[in-house]
Order: sequence, then structure tokens, then C-alpha cells
Amino acid sequence: MQSEREVAGLTCGQVLEHLPDYVDQALGAELRGKIEGHLRGCDVCERFGGRYAEVARALRRELGAADELPPETGERLARELARALGSES
Amino acid sequence: MEHVHDETPRAPGDPELIARVAQGDREALGELVLRHRAALHRYLRGITPSAADAEDALQRTFVAVWKGAGTFGGLASARAWLLTIARNEAYRQNRRRREEPTESETLAALGARAGWGHDSPHDLLEGAEARARLRAALDRLGEDDREVIVLRDLEGLSGEEAAQVLGLGLAAQKSRLHRARLRLMALLKEERHAVRA
Repeated sequence: MQSEREVAGLTCGQVLEHLPDYVDQALGAELRGKIEGHLRGCDVCERFGGRYAEVARALRRELGAADELPPETGERLARELARALGSES
Repeated sequence: MEHVHDETPRAPGDPELIARVAQGDREALGELVLRHRAALHRYLRGITPSAADAEDALQRTFVAVWKGAGTFGGLASARAWLLTIARNEAYRQNRRRREEPTESETLAALGARAGWGHDSPHDLLEGAEARARLRAALDRLGEDDREVIVLRDLEGLSGEEAAQVLGLGLAAQKSRLHRARLRLMALLKEERHAVRA
């Protein structure tokens, strides 16, 4: 850390601590307002917070939420499931 | 005022499908499989040592759903319930349960490794191959870190749902997610420096 500053009533360390709740929009209005005040006055935290949020967004965008399995995996699953349930009934 | 009725058949919700599975409805099970197989497979791939293990656990997950649908209370999230079954199947297969990790690194030290406090203008994901770099970094994370990131960031579970799957309190889940994201950023930063060197 270059130097930990206090801006808008919060230190950089306190901002780091609350970053996940801030990014996930899970903070109360008062704390959210303080963090936004800190970010407006602290370029270093503002940039880091932006990168943190972007990595979380990119994970969802790039690696998550696809609806499909590889076709051969889906076929094996259907086959094995039918066999397993057949032996159950 | 004339009311317009929507004649489109309503797709049953997951709790309804699970209730039907509990009654022995295989068609309902088939629908659950189609809805959730990709997400469950992604999750299992993150917590099992190989693709074959993930596939085995996926099959056993749906067999367990077939047998255990009657235990779904309907109050919990259906998605979290399915992921919990998948987790149990993965660990049954691996014949081990990891010990809870002990965190010795302070949040500030971990943040510093991730680039906190360094006035770098570079975006961790700028340039080509962002997807491949994210995938590689995620694969290099420890299993606990990868698991919470898959649940929260890839699958979009709420904090409460993820805590339920992980068997953790909400605060512990939150802390694990934060540290996991920071470690992922540290790996991305490391990789970026290696490329630039």
C-alpha cells in the first residue's frame, strides 16, 4: 500500500473490507454513501474497486451462465441416468 | 377494460417439479436435469479432481434427487438444495472432507498482492484471451476459493444460498468470497507481469 489515507470518514483498509458488499450492492445507504465519498476522493481505491468489480462481472460473463453441457456429456448423463433409474424401479 | 389472457402454458417452477419427482414422475426429473445439468456440472468440475469425477458425481446427483426429492421442504432455494446434493455426492466420491482452511494472511496483505494500493493503470483483463486467462487463474486457485467463486460469481447464487450450500454462516461465506476474489486477482496480476517481463 502506498499510503493508507482517510477520505470521507473511511480509511482505504475499511473500503477494502467492505468492497464485496459494495460491489454486490448489499450495503445500507449510509455506509454506501461513505464509500462512494471515499472513492471520489481516492483514485487508488477507485481504480482497485473498478478492477475488483470488473473481475467479478467478467467471471459471470465469460465463464458462467452457459446453458449447455458438452453434447457427449449430456448423452452419457441421459444414458447412465436411465440405466440407474431402471435398476431402481 | 378488456382483459387479455395469456394462453401460454406456464412452465412449472423447480419446487413443483421436485414435488412431482417425489411422486415418481420421470418426466419432471427429465425437466430438472435439462434445467440444471450445466450449472451443476460447472460446479462439480470446480470441486472434483477430474472431468470424469465431475461426470460421475453429476449422474449420482440426479439419482440422489430421484431418491430424495421427498426431503425437499420447499422453503429453501431449490437451486441451493440441488447444489448441496451435488456437493455431498462429490465429497462422497472423493472420500474426504477438507479441513477448513486457516487464514494467516491479513486482508491488507492479500489485497496488496491483488494490486490494492498500487497505482497501476492497467486493467487485469485488458487485451485478448480474457476468458482463457480467467479460466486458467480460476483453475489455479485452491478448491475452497474456486468453489465459492463458482457459486457466487459464475452461478449467481445469493450470499444466503451459497452459505447454505457451503454449510457456512453468511459472514464466513462473505469473507471466503472476498479472499477468493483477491487471490484470483493476484493470480491474474502475476500472470500479466510474467507476460510483460
